[in-house]
This record gives sequence, structure tokens and C-alpha cells, in this order.
Amino acid sequence: MDAAIFFQIALGGLLLGGLYALVAFGLSLIYGVARILNFAHGTLLAVGGVAASGIFAATGWSPLVIIALLVPVFAAFGYVFYDRLLQPLTRRTHFEYTVGSVLVTVGALLILSDIAAWIAGPAPTNIPIDFHAIEIGGVIVSTSQAWILGGIVAFTVALHHYIRRSWFGRAMRAVTQDHAGATICGVRADRVHALTFAFGSGIVAVAAVLYTMLYPVDPYMGFSLTVKAFTIIILGGIGNLMGALIAGIFLGLAESFTSFFWATQWAPAISIILLLVILILFPQGFGRRKAA
Amino acid sequence: MTNIRYWLAGGLALACLAAVPTVGSAYITTFLFTLLISYVLAQSWDWIGGEMGYINLAHFAFYGIGAYAFCLGLRDGVPIALCFAAAATAPAIVALVVSLPLFRLRGDYFAFATLAILPLTELLAFNFEFTGGADGVVLPPDYVLFDAYYLAIGLVAVTAVTGIWLVRTRFGYALKAIRNDEEAAEIVGVRIFPVKAKVLILSAAFAGVAGALQGWQLSYIDPTTVFGLDVALIPIAMALLGGSGLILGPVVGVIILSSFNQLLIIGLPILQTAIFGLLLLLIGRFMPGGLLRSQAVRDSRWTRFLGREHHEHLAEADAPDRPGLPLPRAADVPDTENAGTPILECRNLTMAFGGNVAVDDVSFSIAPGEIVGLIGTNGSGKTTLFNCVSKVFEPRSGEILFAGRSLRGLRRDGASRAGIGRTYQIPRPFSDLTVRENIAIPLMNREAEDGGESVGRREALALAAQFAAYVGLSNRLSDRADSLNLQQKKALELARALACRPRLLLVDEVASGLTPTEIAAFVAHIRELRDTYGITVIWVEHIFSALAQVVDRVIVLEQGELIADGPLDDVVRDERVLRTYLGSAAPETPPC
Repeated sequence: MDAAIFFQIALGGLLLGGLYALVAFGLSLIYGVARILNFAHGTLLAVGGVAASGIFAATGWSPLVIIALLVPVFAAFGYVFYDRLLQPLTRRTHFEYTVGSVLVTVGALLILSDIAAWIAGPAPTNIPIDFHAIEIGGVIVSTSQAWILGGIVAFTVALHHYIRRSWFGRAMRAVTQDHAGATICGVRADRVHALTFAFGSGIVAVAAVLYTMLYPVDPYMGFSLTVKAFTIIILGGIGNLMGALIAGIFLGLAESFTSFFWATQWAPAISIILLLVILILFPQGFGRRKAA
Repeated sequence: MTNIRYWLAGGLALACLAAVPTVGSAYITTFLFTLLISYVLAQSWDWIGGEMGYINLAHFAFYGIGAYAFCLGLRDGVPIALCFAAAATAPAIVALVVSLPLFRLRGDYFAFATLAILPLTELLAFNFEFTGGADGVVLPPDYVLFDAYYLAIGLVAVTAVTGIWLVRTRFGYALKAIRNDEEAAEIVGVRIFPVKAKVLILSAAFAGVAGALQGWQLSYIDPTTVFGLDVALIPIAMALLGGSGLILGPVVGVIILSSFNQLLIIGLPILQTAIFGLLLLLIGRFMPGGLLRSQAVRDSRWTRFLGREHHEHLAEADAPDRPGLPLPRAADVPDTENAGTPILECRNLTMAFGGNVAVDDVSFSIAPGEIVGLIGTNGSGKTTLFNCVSKVFEPRSGEILFAGRSLRGLRRDGASRAGIGRTYQIPRPFSDLTVRENIAIPLMNREAEDGGESVGRREALALAAQFAAYVGLSNRLSDRADSLNLQQKKALELARALACRPRLLLVDEVASGLTPTEIAAFVAHIRELRDTYGITVIWVEHIFSALAQVVDRVIVLEQGELIADGPLDDVVRDERVLRTYLGSAAPETPPC
């Protein structure tokens, strides 16, 4: 096979995987801290993408401006969503907490996608920015691809260090590992939960704009992204961003190569089968030892 | 409301539904048809969700598989009865195949895995040729609405009866035990894997037939209509909205959500889905236990009966007619042929977690009818030893013989059936079941081949009262286990362990926190269990005064090693025991 084609496909897979990883980051942090199966997470990306393309079509602003605009809105949404709708459920029994959070997040999924479809229409849209293409050894890279790739890497490194070093990151990790223990040590778990929702939703806004620059989005695509994001966090380890990045890229590459070498229509099966195989081989979660 | 009235009300409702096609329009019939199908889906999901406590997000996959099996068969001219049979068996077979890997997973991981199954089936339907790909399957044109409707009524009746049957059988109690605590369920003799597989197969078969009926009525299916992710969550939301685990929960949820949806379709040109989502969200936020568990429903005398938990349907507790325990008495049991065999023998038993050796090369044997104290500092391996004997852990090496038979390879329920009963240091009762039900579960799970006769649910619930009386819980029979205080929970655990009809009873720290009088009563119980019922007892306890009253000898563990084994009086004078456990300044007399 031509090496240039190989690298071309690898580049596509890398970009796709990086974007998957960004979606998974937020979900990973949220699930780790609050243990909520947030079914609306991918839908947030879809809505963000639809909004970004709408703003771009109307104003022609730079994607960076759109990111700066969307992040605070999404973060505020995440905070209020948790604080008003999910946090009160923590005072209930475990059963009611689980059931309640399923209903709330499924309800949010339906509301968000329907409103987005009502406002922007159900058709797929994107941000049609024309950057010029550059050719490196037979591989054609558009400058937007290069920017996005660079953006994903820089953003992931920044996030990783923020979570390692900052007090908020430490608090988040502490709550992920031992909720009661963190509370006893003075971490205000309620605040951390809400801020994690804000943080995770903010990351989705960034992912949404980058995603929309490369691929079309539509209001109803969210749930399948949520499934992919769950695959990635199971693969990479809950709350582990570097693991999620590697898992996301692996998934993106696997999908790209499957579409090229086998058949496009089977590409989505990769993530699903991967998730099932990993769960079956490691029923306690990947990278975690069996509890003693 | 009595049970007869329930049956009458249900029959009347079905009769009214059956009359609709003759008096109503095709429109209303179609609406009621979707309502009936939704009920079957919601109710069959709830057997796994509400009864067993597993969030199964793949339920709709079984619906779709049934729809495809039926429609493909009918298109190719297979007789319709066979098509319906295929619609039930195909999902059941798939359920059987996936249950083995799926039920290795617990909690959210189970939900993740089932979440992945639905898109996978959708993809398969899209990509295979025999399923017609994105074009789906078109049935030959035929007006079948009324036929499908009558069959749907029949299916609803079968579903409802199955649901009612389910909550009242041994099988249903196994589900409830699993929901509360899987390990404790196994310890009292529930074979959990077959139970999980059976309920998944049952629920899949019902979903499959529902899918077949829907496909028949639409006369057309494609991957999105039967496997679509967004629609898949709706039946689950219906069950949760009404009240998961309640007999009438799915019914109420389905009626409310379907009607609401229909009203939106008629009255609102836009944002129907959003309003529908808003309703789900509000219910989840304000009534997460479901509508029927909300205070408003429980407080009104007109609606209270709707929200009754299953145990509130049980007949009132009656006092036991006979004193003592319904256990075989030692005097009645003929001496076994191998009378000299120890009831429990551990040979070089070792258990380690990673590098931490919790039980290290321990050997001892216990004769039938002994009462043995097991003592040692915290972390010395006492509870780990118990966990090895009751098969919670598989020991790393060494052999455990119970009445001469090796326990190797036995599961927890096998150990329980063999005659090993245990209590936990921190009690693990089935929290949302009543005291009576907690005790009845092990009674129901005994089978004739385990020795002793098998008892039905009704009889088990009656017998449970005698065990409860024995431990002093007669006045709490109909209360939920999570309403008991710690000592009562410990008493309940003892009763539940005894209901396993053990020949060997492992008791883990029951006396701490009891008053001297209560300890004396407990000691008397232990002695009576041995003297009257011939039960051998191993008792982990820190309270020496309690042990001193009843034990024949004690075994002392330290850092996983056995350091002393003999009569209490000798052991308390042992140099190593004094140094490591009792403290070197121990007085001449045993400390009390």
C-alpha cells in the first residue's frame, strides 16, 4: 500500500480520535466524581456544534471567538444543571438517586436535541472554513486540520496539568477516589460535583467547535457519541485523561482504518465491540485490580 | 382492597379494552395498541430493573430482534404462529448467549455494556443483507390492526399475570435478594447466575413478542424504528416514572406517558419531544422513586393502594404456634456412619491478597457439636478465615473439608446448601425486605436433595415467624430490615443464618454492644443450638466473658498464623497469646 495513503488515513483517525477523547474527558470527570451516567453528555456536543455553526454562518467570527463565547455558557449550564436538578437527588436513597439521575439526564437529552432541531433545523451543519492545504510528503493536510490537531494536544496537556496540579484538580481526584474520605478532609463535595459538571461541560464546548470544523453535526447525533465516550472512559480508566486520550485515538484510528480497508458501514461497530470485549475481559473495569 | 378485587378490576379493564375496536375508531384503537405494547415493554424491563436492580439498557434490542424474526418469517411465507414462536425464541436465545458475559458485570458496568448492545444490533440490521439493510422489511399489505390489537390484549394479560406471579414466587424473592446484596443472597443459598439468566431470557421473550406485534401492525420495520436509541429509553422511563418495582408502577407510567405524548402530538405543533423530556426530567427531579411512591399518592386514601410495596400485599403476620425452631433436633438425627469425622477441618489453609498474607498455613479441626471461640487482634485473619470457609474467597492454597468433603470448587450457595451458615460482622440484611421475608428466603431456597424437605413460599413465610420469635423479633415481622437498629439487625442475621439449616454456624462478633443480660441470652441461644439442634458453632468474639460462658475451646490467630488451640483457661496463660493479644500484664485469672 502507498505510504502516503496510510498516513492520510492515520491523520484522519488521529483527528477523529482526538475529538472523541475531548468528549470523553468531560464525561470521565463527571462520572468519576458524581457516579452519574450522564446520557445527555454527547448531546451537549451536538447542540454546541449546531450553535457554533449557526454563529459562524451568521457572523463569520473566528472559531476561537466562538469557543470563548460558548465555554462560559456551557460551564454555567453544567453548574446549574447539576446544582438544581441532580444535587437534590443525593439526599435520596441510592436507588432513587440512580433512577432519578437516569430520568433527569434522559429528559435533558430529549429537550436539548429537540430545541436545537427546532431552532436550527434537523439537517447536518458544519463550520465551512476554507484553509489552504499543504502537502507533506504526499500527505495532504489542511491548515485547519493542523490547527485542530495542535489544539487538541495543547488542550489535553493543559487539562492534564491543571488536574494534576491545581487545588480543584486535587479535590476532584480526591472525591473520585473516596467520596466520604474527601468530605472528611474538608472538601466540599457538593461544590466539587457542580464545578466538575461545569468543567466537563466547558470542555465539551471546546470539543464541539473543533468537531464542527471537521465534520458535520446534527442535533440527534449526541447519543451515539455518548456511547463512544463511555467506551473511551472504560478503556482509558475512569478519571484518567491520558488514558482517555490514548483510548480515543486508538478508537479513531481503528474506525478510520476499518472504513478504508473493510467497509465504511462497519466502522461504528468497532467502538461497541471494543467496549463489550473489554468489559467482559475486565469485569471490574480496565486497569483496576479486583477489590481485595 | 382485597386480591379478588384486584383481579376483577384487571379483568374489567381488559374487557373494556377488548370492546374498543367495535365501538371506537381505528385511531383510538391504534393509540391503545401502542399503549399495550409499551406496557409489555415497560413491565418486562422492570423484572430486571425494578425486581433485580440491574439497569438493562439493551431491552429494546430484544424487541427489535423479535420484530425482525417475525417480519422476516412472515415475508417469506412462514405460518404466522411459527413467526410468533420465532419472535419469542430468537430474543430468548440471544439473551441466553449474552447473559453469561453480561452478568459478570455489576452496577454501572452492566449498564455500560447493555448500552453498547443496542447500537450494535441496529448496525447489524443495517449492514446485513438478509435484514434488508436500511430499507427494512415490508410485509405484504393486509389490514391486521384488530387482530394485532386482540393479540396485544392477550399478551398484556399474560405479562401482568407473569408479573404478579413473579413477585410472589421463590424466583421473585431470589431477584429481590440479588437486588439488595448479591453476596448475602449467595450466602443464604440463592444460585444467582441461573436466576439472572432466567429473568433476562423471560424479559427478552416478552419484549420480542411485543416487537413482533408492533411490526405486524405497522407492516413495515427498519433498523431505526425498532432499534433507535432515543425511543429505546422511553419504556424504561415509563417504568421508572410510574414506580419501578411496584406491581402497578409500569401500568401507571405507561398510561400517563403515552397519553401525555398523544396529547402533545395532537395539541402542539412543535417541541413535542422537548416537553416530553421536560416531564421525565421533572419526575426524576421531584419523584425519583416514581409517581406512585410520591407523598401525594401515598397520603390520599383514594390512591394509596396504587403505591403499595409488594410486602404490603402480604397477609398480616401471625404468631408462631410452636415454640422453638423448625429445625431437626439432634436427638432425632441418627448418628451418621462416619461419626468420627470432624465437621470442619482446615489443612494448611492460606489466603493472601496480593502480598498481604491474611491467613497463613492454618490447620485445625473441629468435632461435631463443639462450640469453638476464634479470637485474635483486629486484622489477625479471623473474618478472612470465615470468608474462606463460606466460600466468599477461594483460598490460595490448602484444603477445607466439611464433614469429610472438600469444599474446593464449591460456590457460596453450595457451601450454604452443604450446611454452612454465617453472620457478618457488619450485618448485611436484605434492606428493603421485611424481617419475615429476610428469613424466608433461605427457607425457600432449600431443595429436597439438600436434605430436609423443600418448602413453598407461603410455608416459608410462616416458618420464618418461628425463627424471628427465637431471636426476639416477633414484633418486627412486617417491618423492613433497614428500619431495625444494629442489634436487631444482628439478631435478624442470626435468624437468617439459622434458616439455612446449618450444621456449622459461623458467628462473627455479635456480642459487641450488647448489655450483659443480652449477652447471657445470646450465650444461652448458642448453647441451645448445640444441645438441642446439634449445630456446631465457631464464634469470633472479642468479649471474653461471653466466650468463657460457653466455648469448649478457643483458637487464636495472630497475623494470619494459628498460635494457640485449646481450652480457654490454658490459652489465656499461653505466653504468645499474652504477649500479642491479651497484653503481657494480664492477671492470673482470665480477664472478664
